[in-house]
Amino acid sequence: MKFLCLECNTAMEFKETATPDQGSLTAIFECPDCFAEFAMHMNPWETQMLKSLDVQLGGKSEAAQPMQMVRSFLNQQNPDNLTAEAPTVSTEGGGKCPFTSVVAEAFQEPVEATGPVWTPEALARLERVPSFVRSMAKTGIEEFARENGHTEITAEVMDTARGNFGM
Amino acid sequence: MKTYKDLPADGGSNIIGQVTQQVNRLQQRLASVRHIVAIMSGKGGVGKSSVTANLASALGLRGHSVGVIDADINGPSIAKMMGVRGQRIDYGDDGVKPALSPLGVKVMSMDLFLKDDETPVLWEAQTQKDAFTWRGTMEMSALREFLSDTEWGSLDYLLIDLPPGTDRLPNLVDLLPNLGGTVVVTIPSGVSQLVVKKSLTMAKKLLNAPVIGVVENMAAYVCADCGKTEDLFPSGHTEEMARQFDVSLLGKIPFDPRISIASDEGSVFVDQHRDTPAGRTLIALAEKIEAFFNHEV
Repeated sequence: MKFLCLECNTAMEFKETATPDQGSLTAIFECPDCFAEFAMHMNPWETQMLKSLDVQLGGKSEAAQPMQMVRSFLNQQNPDNLTAEAPTVSTEGGGKCPFTSVVAEAFQEPVEATGPVWTPEALARLERVPSFVRSMAKTGIEEFARENGHTEITAEVMDTARGNFGM
Repeated sequence: MKTYKDLPADGGSNIIGQVTQQVNRLQQRLASVRHIVAIMSGKGGVGKSSVTANLASALGLRGHSVGVIDADINGPSIAKMMGVRGQRIDYGDDGVKPALSPLGVKVMSMDLFLKDDETPVLWEAQTQKDAFTWRGTMEMSALREFLSDTEWGSLDYLLIDLPPGTDRLPNLVDLLPNLGGTVVVTIPSGVSQLVVKKSLTMAKKLLNAPVIGVVENMAAYVCADCGKTEDLFPSGHTEEMARQFDVSLLGKIPFDPRISIASDEGSVFVDQHRDTPAGRTLIALAEKIEAFFNHEV
C-alpha cells in the first residue's frame, strides 16, 4: 500500500504505530511537504494478517531473534524451551532478520521479552485468565516483573502485580 | 494525481524489501544443505510421517548427515516417532539448535514448542473468529522460521514431512525454490490413490523439482510365524498410477505392526529391524534416493 497526499501530490511517509486497541493496530502517516497526518486503523483481521506475514510497519529493524514469530504468538508453549536470552542472529547476506517483525515495534513487545521466565504454576494460573484478556495480562505482568527486577514470574509475583494493578 | 506506480516507495515500510530479506536469509541457511526432499501424499493416514522418520534414519545409518522438518504444524508427530519429544531445545550461536535423535538425525517440529500432549496449536489473536483469513499465513511463517532459524549445519539431506492436502504445495514452491525432489506416499487402496493422484498432478505442474517416485506403504502383510505374504488391499493400483504419471515406484513397504510400536516408543523401526521385509525395503528406499541424487537412475 502507498499513500498520497492529495493536497501536495506527494507520497506520504510512515511515521509511527500506535498500540493495538482491541486488536486493531493504528499506523500514522505524514506528508513530508505539508506535514498533514492521517491514521490508518486496521481491523483485527488485517492486524492479525500483518502479524502472520511477519513484516514490520515502518521497516525498522531490531536485533534478530530466532523463532520470534512462533515464540511471540504461539498461545501455550513448553516453558522449558528457549527461555534464555536469545543471541542476535547474523544478518550477513540477508540483511536484518525478518523475525523481529511487528512484535518489537508495532505491538510493543520488546525484543528482550524472552525473560522473565514463567514458572509452571504461574503459567497454569495465567491459563485461567479469560482468553480475550490473557495476552494483555501476560504482557502487563511481564512488564511489572521486568520493572521490579524479577527474573522469574511466580504465583507470588503475579499476586503482587495484581495488587499493583489495583485489581 | 500520481498513481501507484509513480510513487517510488511504500512510505518507509519497504515490505517488499523485508520479504526479500526473509528469502535471502532462508537461502543463506539452506546453502549448506545438499538435497532437500519433500515427503508428501495429499491423503492423510497413509504413513507419511513414519516413512519420513524411517527414511531419515535409514539415510543416517548409511552415513549421511540428515535433518527432518515436521511441516505438519497442526498435527506434529515426527518428534515422537524419532524419540526427541520432550527434548529441550535452546539457542545456538546463529539460531536454534535442533533436537537430536538417537541416530543423530536433526529434528525441528512444532511439537517441541507445545506445552503438553493436549495442547493444540493456537495462535494468540484478538479473536479466533474468521481465523481462516490469517491462520494459513501464520503457519507458513512458522514453517519458514523452522527452515531459516534452525542451526542445521551441513546436511546431506533435509527431509520435509508435509501435512496431508495439496494446498501447501504452492507455498512450498515459494519457500524452497531449490527443492531437490518429492517422494509421494500412498497405500494400495483406490480411495487413497484418488487423492494422491491430485497431489501428483499438482507436484508435477507446480513444483520446479522432479517427483523422485512413489512409495506404497502398508503394501502387504507378512505373517510373523510362517513368513507368508498376503495383500491388505487389492494390489496393482500403485504400479498403474506410477505408469500413468511416468514416475518410479520406489518401493512397497509391507505392513509390520512393529513400525507402529516403534513409532509409539520413539525407537526407529529401521534401526531395530533392519533384517525384516519392511526394514530391507526402507533401506532400499534410502539407496534409491541416494542413487537419484547421484544421477544413477
